[in-house]
Amino acid sequence: MSSQHEHTAAENHAHRQEGPRNHYISFALSIILTILAFAGVVYGGLDRGFVLAFIVILAIVQAVFQMVYWMHMKDRGHLYPIMFIVMGAVIAGIAVFTAVYWMWW
Amino acid sequence: MSNTHHAAAALPAEPERATLEGRNKILGFWLFLGAECVLFGTLFATFVALRNQVPEGPTASELFNLSTVALSTFILLTSSLTSVMATMAMHRHKVKPMLGWLVITVLLGLAFLGLEIYEFNEYVMEGHTFTSSAFATSFYTLVGFHGSHVAFGVLWITTLILQTLKKGLTVVTAPKFYVAGLYWHFIDVVWVFIFTVVYLMGKVG
Repeated sequence: MSSQHEHTAAENHAHRQEGPRNHYISFALSIILTILAFAGVVYGGLDRGFVLAFIVILAIVQAVFQMVYWMHMKDRGHLYPIMFIVMGAVIAGIAVFTAVYWMWW
Repeated sequence: MSNTHHAAAALPAEPERATLEGRNKILGFWLFLGAECVLFGTLFATFVALRNQVPEGPTASELFNLSTVALSTFILLTSSLTSVMATMAMHRHKVKPMLGWLVITVLLGLAFLGLEIYEFNEYVMEGHTFTSSAFATSFYTLVGFHGSHVAFGVLWITTLILQTLKKGLTVVTAPKFYVAGLYWHFIDVVWVFIFTVVYLMGKVG
């Protein structure tokens, strides 16, 4: 028990040194990606298929960034959380793909 | 208050993981979030399938006002940052800054909800009601489900703040704050897909 406590204390020490900088970077990146997505739609004239792919990729990048940094998925001991979320995302992806395939292909 | 400070001084490094119950609570919450992915995934699939089914009533590109959506997006994004600041304050055992960040998070959540109610009200005025088209039904179900998650999060975090004013930050209350933070980030991640798939794609057509 005591060794485990030391372990978490050491881990937390590393976390403390890291400070809020990573969170500010994630926030700035999220804002930039959001502005890019809105700009891609508002200042149009681009190919429709390109814009659709562009904003979906931006959304996925932003979602992954927020989960890795803000939901602490990069920290140790997150194997099961990653498995749970990936399983949920796979099923969600299959559902969306099926709908797109049926209605839009 | 001095009692609270004493308890905080005795807290372990990561109070939310200090007990087996706390660790299990976090693990179980991730399983719940996996299930939430499936729930929102099926609602997104329904919306994507039906988003052009508008026999009567306004279409998405006639309806949506991107400046309102941009404002909602920045409000929710900022509230996600303030909730991660609260979790960081908790790791440093600083109870007052943590509660301050959470109060800001709740206020931003309320602002988001107010905007959404205003937006839905405008849509109904323009003839976009729950039963006017398949697009409208799937739109209100998806976006309304997300909005009700925000409303639940606001109530949840408010009650946690009240509980901590009474009991202080302990190994029992810390895991609750941690999972509430996870929940709030998850809501923001879902919103990223909503503004992309519902609003921006609606404008593209």
